[in-house]
Amino acid sequence: MYKLFLTLRYLRKRRIAFFAIGAVTLCVAMVLIVLSVMGGWLEQVMQRSRGLLGDIIVDNHTNSGFPLYDEFITEIEKWPEVVKATPVLYSYGLFQIGKTYNGTVRIVGIRLEEVFEVNAFKASLFYEKFYPGTTRFGDQQQAVLGFDPDAPPVKSPEGDEFMMRELPEPYRSALSHADQVHREQTGQPLTDTDSVPDLVDDSRTHYGQPPIPGLFELAEMRNPPGYEGDTLPGVILGRDLIAERQRDGRYERFIPLGEVVRLTMVPITEVGNVDPTPIKRQFRYADDSRTGIYEIDSQHVYVDFGLMQQLLLMDEGKGVDGDVIPARCSQIQIKTIDGADTEALAQRMEDLYLSYLEDPKRELRPIDRDLIARVQAVTWQRQQAHIIGPVQKEKALMTILFGIISLVAVALVLCILYMIVLQKTRDIGIIKAIGGSSVGVAAVWVLYGLAVGVVGCALGSAFGVWFVSNINEIQDALIAINPAWRVWDMQVYSFDRIPSRVATSDLIGVNAIGVLAATVGSVAAAWRAGRMQPVEALRDE
Amino acid sequence: MSNATSDKPLLIATGVSKHYQMGPSRLDVLKACSLHVKRGEFVAIMGRSGSGKSTLLHILGALDTAQAGKVEFDGQDVFGAGSERRRVRFRRNQFGFVFQFYHLLPELTVLENVLITEMIRTPIAGWLARRGDARKRALAIIDRVGLSARIRHRPNELSGGERQRVALARALVHQPAILLADEPTGNLDRESGAGILDLLLGLHGDGQTIVMVTHDKAVADRADRTLNLVDGRLRDE
Repeated sequence: MYKLFLTLRYLRKRRIAFFAIGAVTLCVAMVLIVLSVMGGWLEQVMQRSRGLLGDIIVDNHTNSGFPLYDEFITEIEKWPEVVKATPVLYSYGLFQIGKTYNGTVRIVGIRLEEVFEVNAFKASLFYEKFYPGTTRFGDQQQAVLGFDPDAPPVKSPEGDEFMMRELPEPYRSALSHADQVHREQTGQPLTDTDSVPDLVDDSRTHYGQPPIPGLFELAEMRNPPGYEGDTLPGVILGRDLIAERQRDGRYERFIPLGEVVRLTMVPITEVGNVDPTPIKRQFRYADDSRTGIYEIDSQHVYVDFGLMQQLLLMDEGKGVDGDVIPARCSQIQIKTIDGADTEALAQRMEDLYLSYLEDPKRELRPIDRDLIARVQAVTWQRQQAHIIGPVQKEKALMTILFGIISLVAVALVLCILYMIVLQKTRDIGIIKAIGGSSVGVAAVWVLYGLAVGVVGCALGSAFGVWFVSNINEIQDALIAINPAWRVWDMQVYSFDRIPSRVATSDLIGVNAIGVLAATVGSVAAAWRAGRMQPVEALRDE
Repeated sequence: MSNATSDKPLLIATGVSKHYQMGPSRLDVLKACSLHVKRGEFVAIMGRSGSGKSTLLHILGALDTAQAGKVEFDGQDVFGAGSERRRVRFRRNQFGFVFQFYHLLPELTVLENVLITEMIRTPIAGWLARRGDARKRALAIIDRVGLSARIRHRPNELSGGERQRVALARALVHQPAILLADEPTGNLDRESGAGILDLLLGLHGDGQTIVMVTHDKAVADRADRTLNLVDGRLRDE
């Protein structure tokens, strides 16, 4: 009993032990923060680099693309392991919205309905979440908020009656339906927590009306809700192109839905030459996508695959000598069933594509053969290995480095406990004189180290978890004081937020090692205390 | 003076020798010392400062070892096989120590300093069951030494005489067979020393066996029997 009693008493009464606890606390917190940020970073890299990819990607890594993709997709969709496949086009171009805002963007051509089935693109869309079924690439005008003459006026808290601006159909019904579904699923109304409320939202909230998610143009005068402007095809924009992220993580939109977007792109021929005549086309902003990867969200715009193919002259055509020039795509994304052996499947797909070269029924032009010969099929993990691999290595390296630094805590525990043993030499003599055994006295110090480890790890875990949970707010506060103190640059690290999730396995692992290290650090002190002869210890001055 | 002595020796030391090697020279502290202490007897060991009387007491109390000789307690060899464990067992169960410089644990209160002896004797499971009894015994012995009002005080809040009373209570709480007191009054003023001596005599009157080391003849004279340690040899007075 005395071992536990003395351990707890020394822990409370020996202030120098607080330094040992402090060292363990800081080291545990430090390692936990590093592991959490690096682990979270790796997880996000894996998740988000995956986000807009299928399970398997077929690509020939040229700007010219490759033909026969529709035949290939038709064929592989018969395989039981394949759920869906869709072609994708990539190109670069100039983006302009309003009169002044412009920049270089990567233009991605997709078949929207197919992409929804292949990857997580649908979940990244803002307006589609609140107005399901309204996001499309088809021709459209700009939706405007107006005053519905049939709607009853609403009363303000002061008793005034007002007409509220309302959405046109089908947005109004879509929002109502989405809200109803959300209430059925969660019991809560569907609310937009990602955006800063605009003036319309503030006004509606004042009159007790639910806000309207997103930013819409207002109808002139007292016109009813409806649609205005030229009919143009839709375009989906990366969210950072049309909104600005605030300190609290919410977005403030500065471009209303349906605004005219001008894209200028340059066709690339089959042999890789740039067509000298740029293609200019106007679109309407139909939705915005947020993957969480800043490089994607600030540089990607998505248009209809078929339209982009036409604009880039990659659709099927006839050559000057009457030859059929097959349509081309840049990539094929494929979703497989859960548990499929994607490595083996990718190899089968690559073999299938390359077998087109040997098919005597196909009259392929030499240039088509060249483009097909370059086709490779890889899993999404391999496709992104150049991103995931270095992060995995960096995580391991950082963990090892901070683990080594944490040995300082072990050394400090050792020194402090050894010092306490020297200070308490006479006490050790007394305990032995009144019946304490060598093992018992040694156990007091091992328990002491254990207690230092447990208390230090508990405090370190609490601090580490708190720090990781609030890491973005801490950075935001630092930036508010001095912008140069930004430690996580979203342009450098790809993600707009610092990863902030502590893995339970990391928490358990770090605590186990922390307690073990502090206990090991106490062994030398325990050894010395146990070996002390009571008479010599009692004579200690 | 004694009213409870028994003819059967409780503690027997035979030919106990102890020397310290100090470089090339050897210092013989104890030379074949022999003594016996009967149950209920109060024996004083006198000698000049540095004569080796504390060393002898430490050996008798299994705190120290001798290079030669034998110590038997109630027929058992204190330094026999499994010596370290055996010595711990004797110290824990049979002996109670009082030191000249009190040797209390400074982080503990009076009550805790007394209870620590019981804690050492009791495993954690047993302690939870017997804690109440141990506390009662501790409070009773603290009351006997006259410190009931100071149980929550720490040693640095007590006078020298009070500290020595706490040390005495600590030595007695587990009802040891023999109380070994090393100059218990040596660090106290006359009045406090007399108080401690009265307590020892009271305990002896209740049958407690006591071996006390002192250099003060007046204190030694209060014992049943006095042994003199001169030049490392023990002589009856």
